[in-house]
Amino acid sequence: MLLALLLSACASGPKYTEVISTLPSLAPAQGRIYFYRPSALGTAVQPDINLNGQKVGTAKPHGFYFVDRAPGDCVVTAATETEKKLTFTLDPRQERYVRLKIQMGLLVGRIVPELVDKAEAEEELKGLSFIADPLK
Amino acid sequence: MRPVRAAVLLVGPLAVLLAACAPEVVRQPAQLVAVTEQSPGTTQILQEASISVGPGYRRVIPRGSVWTRIGRSTQGEVFKPVDRVFTVEGAHIHEAYLVLDGDRVVGFYLPVERAFSSAPDGPTRLSIRRREP
Repeated sequence: MLLALLLSACASGPKYTEVISTLPSLAPAQGRIYFYRPSALGTAVQPDINLNGQKVGTAKPHGFYFVDRAPGDCVVTAATETEKKLTFTLDPRQERYVRLKIQMGLLVGRIVPELVDKAEAEEELKGLSFIADPLK
Repeated sequence: MRPVRAAVLLVGPLAVLLAACAPEVVRQPAQLVAVTEQSPGTTQILQEASISVGPGYRRVIPRGSVWTRIGRSTQGEVFKPVDRVFTVEGAHIHEAYLVLDGDRVVGFYLPVERAFSSAPDGPTRLSIRRREP
């Protein structure tokens, strides 16, 4: 029963390898940021993920989603026990990958957003499920 | 209680506490003067190097990685990684570019913060090959 509860807390959409070729192409004046959480550790911890102060989704285990944004400065935060922010730039037509890593805190876990190389991210994304509507 | 178990019980929470309380990356405002050439020079790393990037945090600069010269600050030439990312870390994580004085890493340029952060352990010499345009 506990296992069923834990599994239901993970993302369950189609896998990255199934949907990557069907995703909408990127507009020339925009960049794309992928967010993904490869680990199911600390499943109960699923904070909101904010990009430049605006919620873009949550840190759902084994799931990924993306947002397209105008180029510029990006600040990613996760609202957990302590906040660790990630800052990076986004260029036109650039793809960025943000891994949402669980780190166990004093009382509960916290999500640390990390900027990841494309090659490393694509390897980790293979087994993850697409969250079509991350704000739901 | 056995000494080993006691040590684990003490060190575990202490490590978590230290990670949660890491200080900010020390930095100062810096102006980047962008290169004007159409095809700026690149630098290739010939030997892997591990450098401190913040309080308790290190990063590896991989052998074979290529860095493009994008400009200059008062501290040195600024190089952006090609097809990879580089970050510095303290209380937060910041995308960063290498600032080189010759073949020595003297610090990091933080493009979002428009700031320079000195290499915490002092300048580190790299084994590099430069390719001018």
